[in-house]
Amino acid sequence: MNLVYAAALAALMGCGLYMLLSRQVVRIILGIALISAAVNFVIFFAGRIGASVPPLIIEGETALGPDTANPLPQALVLTAIVIGFSLVAFAAALALKTYRETGTLDTRELGDAEALGSPYTKEASSK
Amino acid sequence: MSLIALIFISLIGSLVAHRVALYAGKAGPWLVALLPAFLFFSFLGHAGAIGTGEVIFERIDWVPSLGIGLGVRLDGFSLLFTLLITGIGTLVTLYAGAYFAEYPAKKRAMFLFFIILFMSAMLGTVLADDLIMMFVFWEMTSVTSFMLIGFEATKPEARKAALQSLLVTAGGGLSLFAGILLIGMTLGTFSLSEVALRADELVASPYLAAIIVLILGGAFTKSAQFPFHFWLPNAMAAPTPASAYLHSATMVKLGVYLLARFDSIFASVPAFGLTLVAFGSATMLIAAFLALRAIGYKGVLAQSTVASLGILVMLIGLDGYVASVATVGFILTHALYKAALFFCAGTAIHATGITRLRGLGGLARFLPFTAAAAALASLSMAGLPPFIGFISKEYLFEAQLESSMNWIPVLVAVLVNAVMVAVAGAVSLKPFFFNRERIESVKHGETLGLLVGPLILATLGTLFGIAPWLVAQSLVQPAASALYGSPIDVSFSLWHGLTPMLALSALVVALGTAIVVYWDRLHIALRRMRWPDRLLGDKGYHAVFDGVIGAANGSTRFFQNGDQRRYTLIVAIATIALIGWAYFRSGGNFAILATGGPILIAPTALLILAVAGAVAAARTQSLITAVVAVGIVGYVSALLFLMNGAPDLALTQFSVETLVVVVIMAVLVRLPTYAPSTRTAGERRIDIGVSAAFALLVFVGLATMTAEPLDMRLTEFFSQRSLTEAYGHNVVNVVIVDFRALDTLGEIAVVGFATLAVWGLLRRRRPANATLARKG
Repeated sequence: MNLVYAAALAALMGCGLYMLLSRQVVRIILGIALISAAVNFVIFFAGRIGASVPPLIIEGETALGPDTANPLPQALVLTAIVIGFSLVAFAAALALKTYRETGTLDTRELGDAEALGSPYTKEASSK
Repeated sequence: MSLIALIFISLIGSLVAHRVALYAGKAGPWLVALLPAFLFFSFLGHAGAIGTGEVIFERIDWVPSLGIGLGVRLDGFSLLFTLLITGIGTLVTLYAGAYFAEYPAKKRAMFLFFIILFMSAMLGTVLADDLIMMFVFWEMTSVTSFMLIGFEATKPEARKAALQSLLVTAGGGLSLFAGILLIGMTLGTFSLSEVALRADELVASPYLAAIIVLILGGAFTKSAQFPFHFWLPNAMAAPTPASAYLHSATMVKLGVYLLARFDSIFASVPAFGLTLVAFGSATMLIAAFLALRAIGYKGVLAQSTVASLGILVMLIGLDGYVASVATVGFILTHALYKAALFFCAGTAIHATGITRLRGLGGLARFLPFTAAAAALASLSMAGLPPFIGFISKEYLFEAQLESSMNWIPVLVAVLVNAVMVAVAGAVSLKPFFFNRERIESVKHGETLGLLVGPLILATLGTLFGIAPWLVAQSLVQPAASALYGSPIDVSFSLWHGLTPMLALSALVVALGTAIVVYWDRLHIALRRMRWPDRLLGDKGYHAVFDGVIGAANGSTRFFQNGDQRRYTLIVAIATIALIGWAYFRSGGNFAILATGGPILIAPTALLILAVAGAVAAARTQSLITAVVAVGIVGYVSALLFLMNGAPDLALTQFSVETLVVVVIMAVLVRLPTYAPSTRTAGERRIDIGVSAAFALLVFVGLATMTAEPLDMRLTEFFSQRSLTEAYGHNVVNVVIVDFRALDTLGEIAVVGFATLAVWGLLRRRRPANATLARKG
């Protein structure tokens, strides 16, 4: 089963990277969302999948039982999910703002910084 | 006074000098000159002890953990240099005060500050016994030289020449530094005197060849030896007082100083001396040839300086004690006459505004004392009796005839010295005494400040020639002994008798006179040649310089071409390459084990659904479909969390995924929902390939990871402490809010900041297009 998980996660990552390589801003953001979902699951997977009992300490005990799931990756992923969401939400707002300002979401047309000119050509003109 | 204290007085003095020159008006330079004069007499006070063969050592710790100290040493050879540096420094200060008389006080003060700072750096370099300290001061001379060459910063050629000299000499300094570090690695010490004592260990080192080449790199760049001979004539863009001081009398001799220091260490390596003779001779010939072609007054002097430096390098390469005497004698002689000639040239150029040698003539009418000084100095340069130049040339030929080298260096020396005679004639006779019709009037006459320097130097050159005993025992003998490594007896005298050296001297003078008679015709004929510009100029430097700029330009254009996809692709490919390389290096230990038990139907089906969603998201051109498809992946992972004992995660993932879909949909409502592909078919194929390679790496990584044993120590810790210390049953929650409370606070802050930023971005400002208006 581990290999199935590994293969599926690898496929998700590959698709995410493919979207990230696009020049369309919304697609890039969705690629980030896809990759962060996959990465979250990778962290969870790193703590091993198997036990299905939630990591709760039963009344009367002082420690987790032997068959409970690993709580450590869960605690890490919980933070990561929220941070990933903040990132995607911020990027989406930035995309909307960009579209309002420039009327495009194609990164090839978002060249304001490049339009300032190359430092080399400036040097050449003063020679 | 302690030597280290003298260096510090000089360094601090440069700041004081700046203030004094700024506020003391006309008296400023005279007051500033007191500092180098004081240093000169302080060093002169040591001459008696040094003359008896004593060597003064001082040392204070600087970086004790690395064995680096401010270790200084004063022996005969460094005494000679300190006296030249401070003595000529005094005269340069006075001359610069008069030279810059019409300049604003601010500019004059800045110049004097750099001159004194440079002097401090020079003193530090020649006094240093610790090689690291020497290197620091060595580079400081390069930097101050840069500031002085580029002093007329509004002139493009001055800036260019300054940059060129900095790149060449400071670059050579780095080569020297590498050599010093190798010496330190080999011997475990940076003390020059200890290195000299353990020379045989150094010579036996496997790094010997590298050390020699690196040190030669430092020395040859500083002393403008072939193939680095081009920077010194260009450095004449500096104001003339700086040229006289840095680029003839002192700084350019540092390379010679360094070679002289290492000569006794590498005495048992024959290739060292041979290399010096070869490069010195080549430099002499090239510079003598270029001197005949040079147009500017200072240019001719600069080329003859390069030739003189070649002579010195060659002399150090020769064996025998006479070579040591000749080296010392020529360093002294050259400093005296060349600085004087530069002063005279500066006065002539300053008074007429003409820099071309052939534009000047008959200046003796207007500048009689300068003309007299130029005449005396050039007679010394020509090597005529009774000037000190005659003595040092006799020694030069004697050193060559005595050494084990063959006749080629002698031939080179005869030719080059003949050109020196001619240059001496061309720079003193022609502009001052001949061609009276060329100059009708001058802008200003001589002032005291302009005269002190050249007159004193020219007089000393004559005096030491007539009465060589003044310097023979007190200065030349200790310096030559320090250079040779053991005490030698010097008969530094004017008349040697009828010797082969005298015959060579006569030959040189005859040849030189012939050249000076035909100077103009020779000059014009040589100017017509085109090949020297191509072969002997700084074409190589420009090729390297432009090559570096071009490579930077090209790589910037390639890596930073403004295309977002290119950046992501470079990062992705670099990541894949690095991880792939790490896998490969780890020996391919891919212990992929299917240890996870049987394949379960429900999770497998869910995973297939997620992958289908991801593939759909990647393929579709509709953004709505893509959002929904990415949402499917999120919901699947939430379901998998739920199935594997993580209800907290599932809950969070469900709500976050819902929020993401809502937020992106809310944004998409205002955007075009259909986005055609922005990549060409070829680009998509590349991206699919890169993504597939990335996926493969992820798969291999995850599969190997599960085969590794799991470290459960942290899990055990949280399992046992959650209830007992934090009183919580839900271990995940306890970790989040107790054990990692600060992390969670940070996370909340991130969400808060993101919310603020989103609000700021999406808020509609009332003057809706304020930014657009400002742009327009």
